[in-house]
Amino acid sequence: MAAAPADAKAEAAKMDLLEDDDEFEEFEIDQEWDDKEDGNEVVQQWEDDWDDDDVNDDFSLQLRKELEEGSAQKS
Amino acid sequence: MAAYLSMGEAHRRINDYLSRLSDAISDSDGAALASLLAVSSAPASTPLSDALAAFPDFARLASDRFPHLSDFLPQLLRAIHSHSTRRFSDAYSSFEKAASAFLQEFRNWETPWAMEAMHTVALEIRLLAEKADRELAMSGKNPDKLQAAGSFLMKVFGALAVKGPKRVGALYVTCQLFKIYFRLGTVNLCRSVIRSIETARNFDFEDFPVKDKVTYMYYTGRLEVFNENFLVADQKLTYALVHCNPQSESNLRKILKFLIPVKLSIGVLPSRALLEKYNLIEYADIVTSLTRGDLRLLKQALDTHEDQLLKSGVYLVLEKLELQVYRRLVKKIHIIQRQKEPAKAHQIKLDVLVKTLRWLGIQMDVDEVECIMACLIYKNLIKGYFAHKSKVLVLSKQDPFPKLNGKPI
Repeated sequence: MAAAPADAKAEAAKMDLLEDDDEFEEFEIDQEWDDKEDGNEVVQQWEDDWDDDDVNDDFSLQLRKELEEGSAQKS
Repeated sequence: MAAYLSMGEAHRRINDYLSRLSDAISDSDGAALASLLAVSSAPASTPLSDALAAFPDFARLASDRFPHLSDFLPQLLRAIHSHSTRRFSDAYSSFEKAASAFLQEFRNWETPWAMEAMHTVALEIRLLAEKADRELAMSGKNPDKLQAAGSFLMKVFGALAVKGPKRVGALYVTCQLFKIYFRLGTVNLCRSVIRSIETARNFDFEDFPVKDKVTYMYYTGRLEVFNENFLVADQKLTYALVHCNPQSESNLRKILKFLIPVKLSIGVLPSRALLEKYNLIEYADIVTSLTRGDLRLLKQALDTHEDQLLKSGVYLVLEKLELQVYRRLVKKIHIIQRQKEPAKAHQIKLDVLVKTLRWLGIQMDVDEVECIMACLIYKNLIKGYFAHKSKVLVLSKQDPFPKLNGKPI
């Protein structure tokens, strides 16, 4: 009985070879759409100026506390 | 179970199907022909499949009536019959023979009127092969049909990727081949078809149908991710994203699944709304870890989704974000020091880094930390140098944290 889960796992791995979760879905053979570059709102969902000097978020406040405690211990 | 069918009725139905097929060919009606070839999506019982079950001599009926299509029609009927009785391996074998005969006819037709039907054959052979392989694997036999379908599709590709009006159909077949190679894990086989598509001088890529271009860019983009060519991957996946059918949420999600790690690696973050809309929340903590400089959160996020990320092949890309997170953490320490003691802000004691890392659950000694800082300097993520003796990282006074600006690390 103890071997059963391992077998099931091996079986699953074997079947796994025949799956591809990331397979692109077929577009219908005659499917067409309005192919405009700006028609797609997902294009505007990116940010490249996030690397700011803001240190007022929770994580930074904790970090500040940590740094202050560290230097207090030393002196 | 199929209802009882008289031989006469069965005979009539089969003849009717054969007539429609033959008419579609003589009328050069590609769409009608295509619709008659979709074997794999048929339910177990259709008027035709019931008739084939009731009239076992259907192959002879077909070849007697249309002797010039005797390599094609009988095999096609056999495939339909086997598929309806759920003998998928047999269905595949018959369909492959029918498909070869069809390809032969297709080569002889000068115009590309039958392209839609050829594409249906290409899709069907892949789907039937997948069903057949599942059946073979279940019964402990060697699942080799998908590979065989790949070999057949290479022949189809050869018939299309030539000068002339049929070439416009080559990219669709390329995409079917990609799906097979990705599933079988033989992606190196993609290379020769890619070369043939991309080096063609007499055919502009933009002239292919948009659905094929989008699919092609998705797969070649994924290949570039595997090869760690992040700039090219960015171009290809962005192309797929921009041109994808905006209604096709599941395909947009798949593109983003690969594009997001690529964008992160060049320092561009997706919005929270994007992650939520496409249910890609597995990336949310990774994004937060980058903005915070939170190494612990990065590790947690990678651990939590490890299986999934490994399976998609993006784990290694995301693991490399660690350096960016280190950089962000050092930058935050620098800013906090600057607020407290501006004169000494550009000196960061390695000891302070060791303690901060310990706070984040990472045990490292001074030498290890020095090594990582050296790596950040080498990769131009930080500008500065070491005062080795005093164990201090001295940051450049000018632009100590250069922006990635869309460059990969």
